Amino acid sequence: MFNSMDISTSGLVAQRIRMNTCAMNLANVDTTRTPEGGPYQRRSVVFQAGMDARDKTAQGVHIADIEKQPIFRKEYDPSHPHADKDGYVKLPGIDIFTEQLNMMEAQRAYEANITAIEVSKAMLNSSLRLLV
Amino acid sequence: MVEQYNPIGAGGLMGPGKGLSPVQTTQKIDDGSDFKSLLMKSINEVNRLQNEADQATVNLATGKTDNIAEVFTAINKADIAFRTLMEIRNKLMSAYEEVNQMRV
Repeated sequence: MFNSMDISTSGLVAQRIRMNTCAMNLANVDTTRTPEGGPYQRRSVVFQAGMDARDKTAQGVHIADIEKQPIFRKEYDPSHPHADKDGYVKLPGIDIFTEQLNMMEAQRAYEANITAIEVSKAMLNSSLRLLV
Repeated sequence: MVEQYNPIGAGGLMGPGKGLSPVQTTQKIDDGSDFKSLLMKSINEVNRLQNEADQATVNLATGKTDNIAEVFTAINKADIAFRTLMEIRNKLMSAYEEVNQMRV
């Protein structure tokens, strides 16, 4: 009875995690130092069908993995403490416009899932009218 | 999992339950325990959803979860389940009153 609502809710959760990774990428666009060493690596989410890793029914969606992408850009800044001998600094290969687009996509997908929940709620409510 | 429309005794009221066995006209009419068990199952299911929603609200308020989507879905589910139960109850009560006022 509440299947579609649960499915849409899993979509909401997944899109929130995607939004979190986008925010993380944007915040770390100039980060050159990380606990694991080296510049920050761009994160991207991998969606997988099913409510969680054990779910084989392929209903709903979840984040299977948050991948690190070892892509970097180089910028000339000899005064930077992490500059190499030629004066270049290795920065994370993050494009803020791509991130912004990703955020907009996540927002629209979130809204779409909300609308799906509203519709299934309206359907359940209108089926109650059958009884009155 | 594809649920299909089953004209007689299609599923339980809440969730994909086993539902009523189709009543055969040749069968001896039983004492209605089937309906009673179905009703009790539905009430228990509504109760479970209410408890789930309660727990989710407490978890949100105490900071155990920051997942508002799941909390709101739990509340929505409990709300719809309870209102469905109330509608069924109202229907049953009106049927009972109608029978009660019958002149013999």
